Amino acid sequence: MAFPAVAVYSFLYLYPAIQNLLYATERWDGVTKPEQVGFHNFAHLATDDDLFMKIVGNNIRFTLIVVIFQTAFSLLFATFLLKNTKTTILLRVIYFFPTILSSVSVGLIWTFLYNPNFGFINASFKAIGLDGLALNWLGDTRYSLYAIAVTQVWFHTGQMVIIYVAGLQQIPADLYEAAEVDGASRWQQFKSITWPMALPTTAVVVAYTTIQSFRAFDLVYSMTQGGPLNSSDLIVTSIYNTAFASFKYGYASAQSVVLILVVLFVTWLQRRTLRIDYGVK
Amino acid sequence: MTTKGMKSLSARRLGAVATIAFALVATSITTGFAADPSFGKACTTEGVSTGTSSTSLICSVNSAGKLTWTNVRLGQSTGSPVAALKASPGTIEFHHFRPEDKAVFASIIAKFEAANPGTHVNQVIMSSNDYTNLGYAKISVNPKAAVFVTVRGGQFDQFYNGGMMRDISSDRFVRQNVIQSALTPATVGGKIYGVPYQSLFNDPLYNTEMFAAHKWTVPTNWTQLLSFCKTVKAAGIIPFAWPAATRGNAGQIMNSFLMNSAPDVATLTSRIQAIDTGKADLTSDWFTAIANKYKAMNDAGCFPANVTGYNDTVAPADFANGKAAIYPTGTFGMSTVTNLNPAMKGKMKLMSMITVDEKPLYQGITNNTFILSVNKKATSRDQNIARAFISFLTTAAAAQEYAVGTSQHVSIINVNYSANIDLLNTSDIMGKKLLLAPRFLFNNVGTVRNPLEDALIAIGGGADVTKTLADTSKTIKQSLGA
Repeated sequence: MAFPAVAVYSFLYLYPAIQNLLYATERWDGVTKPEQVGFHNFAHLATDDDLFMKIVGNNIRFTLIVVIFQTAFSLLFATFLLKNTKTTILLRVIYFFPTILSSVSVGLIWTFLYNPNFGFINASFKAIGLDGLALNWLGDTRYSLYAIAVTQVWFHTGQMVIIYVAGLQQIPADLYEAAEVDGASRWQQFKSITWPMALPTTAVVVAYTTIQSFRAFDLVYSMTQGGPLNSSDLIVTSIYNTAFASFKYGYASAQSVVLILVVLFVTWLQRRTLRIDYGVK
Repeated sequence: MTTKGMKSLSARRLGAVATIAFALVATSITTGFAADPSFGKACTTEGVSTGTSSTSLICSVNSAGKLTWTNVRLGQSTGSPVAALKASPGTIEFHHFRPEDKAVFASIIAKFEAANPGTHVNQVIMSSNDYTNLGYAKISVNPKAAVFVTVRGGQFDQFYNGGMMRDISSDRFVRQNVIQSALTPATVGGKIYGVPYQSLFNDPLYNTEMFAAHKWTVPTNWTQLLSFCKTVKAAGIIPFAWPAATRGNAGQIMNSFLMNSAPDVATLTSRIQAIDTGKADLTSDWFTAIANKYKAMNDAGCFPANVTGYNDTVAPADFANGKAAIYPTGTFGMSTVTNLNPAMKGKMKLMSMITVDEKPLYQGITNNTFILSVNKKATSRDQNIARAFISFLTTAAAAQEYAVGTSQHVSIINVNYSANIDLLNTSDIMGKKLLLAPRFLFNNVGTVRNPLEDALIAIGGGADVTKTLADTSKTIKQSLGA
């Protein structure tokens, strides 16, 4: 019965993944004949590519920021938007709205907002006398990565709100009623009912956000192209540049294998940390 | 009722018109056109050009600093231009990266199709970034892509090495319709594999009206340039609207820094190749000197505040709106500027950006935006349609439509630029000693040129020269070793 699904999966996912592994052991510029180099690409990545290590570091910092803030904001908003009233439904639509925008448009809009000389953000800081906070957001190696992380959180929080709302609505209402009878405050209700009951949903949100953050490409590409001086370069933008600007397809494949391993490790770590038990025997 | 005075005025006007008309007809340079009232025996407006034939006259400043007509050889053909080839019925694809040219090409294609019933050319357009990164992969497996474009240097080499380009040396339209000196970038081993079509000049544009109003003169050496920046900044105007946050256009200025950085072009080429192949470091004296000049420009206030966050959306807008004196990109930036502010039409000229104090070797940069080639892997019928299409593009009428419609010069002879004042005004650069844009001698774009330009951008934004070059040099070496 499962054969068609296995066949489709093998053709569309397994075969390209194995093919990618094979490319990762080759030196190939896309034009000349590929040369088999064994594990040279991986060895070079591990021992002689400071830039890639810096980029992995960038991506881990980016992911941490996005996962923490995106999860926190989406849970916070979801708790306020739980009831199905006309107002909350409208607000959910408004929060979800950025998700339907094209990522390049979002990148362009935020590039204008961040413009150091006339952008809305710096203009706002200057208007309230906080001139010291009017920074060169995308043009300074110290801030560019964080500026993009903020955009990423703004862009995807609405999507996670919807997942949380669906998850939180599964929590039986009588638990809250009983807690109210016992005189529990809103915070105690959240701590003792909402948070533990929402843990499986949180696991989904965190895993999804993590993967999304490691796959982030379009915002980076449209806002900074990884610059200045690779300060906002992420693993996927690096893979893209290695493959399509430097024409090192084998090396880029090796980078993508590393990406898979990093994502697998981080996801495993998250599951361990959140102690998710799906009841699998 | 008409008064005597009014009659007299009308008569005067008539007389003046007749006199001007006679002067225009009588002058020896009216073979081109008579659209500009400054045409006459004396050349009074720098940049004015007859611009119509293979031996055009351009009004430019001579070594003595006086305006004089300079004979500029735009073409060198062994015979008269030939008509376009005839195409057999069929459909081909034309792949390029110029979405801004879509409408003009569509109009030209319509005329080509009308002249060749049953023949169709479909434009397939990618963004320049996508074309750089994915163009080869897509076109090399698509035999219907019978006409495609490449950029001089690495991309041309990639398609050539992939056996994608048909030799078109023997086609008469190549020999007789194209400015022969412009064919160099498409020539390998004496054979021609494409027609470099759009000619551009990667030199800074300056606002002539602003210069005149402030009585500024165009700096002619490095010391003057730095001093000019201080003067302009003091007037509350951005001297150079350098779009440092957009690598593609920020890198154009590097051409000017490179052009006079070596005693001759061979030395320059070998130095660039040494860096491109990892044989030399960015920390070499030669490259450090170039990087130091970026820093000097930043120190002199040449660039706007927070220049590393200043992108190519803001820069042309500042130039178009009179907030900046110079937009250091090239002729290809003119249409953006006039789209942003139509009043800028006719107020732009190109400056030679001289970054040395001694006598410069070169006065400007030229390049071809793209080279049109015939796909050798297309069927022979499609290749013939492709040749016919390219030959059609090399006819003066089509080239003129393209030039005027896109506000760009072309490498085709007998093109009349008089319908576009900005093209006319910038034609004088053709009378100067130009170097083919050396930036494109870096073949390793992703591995070498991009990080190198990022380093120069950072230095232009105030980063430490020594550390930035050392770090970038290490990155480049490691990347080349991968």
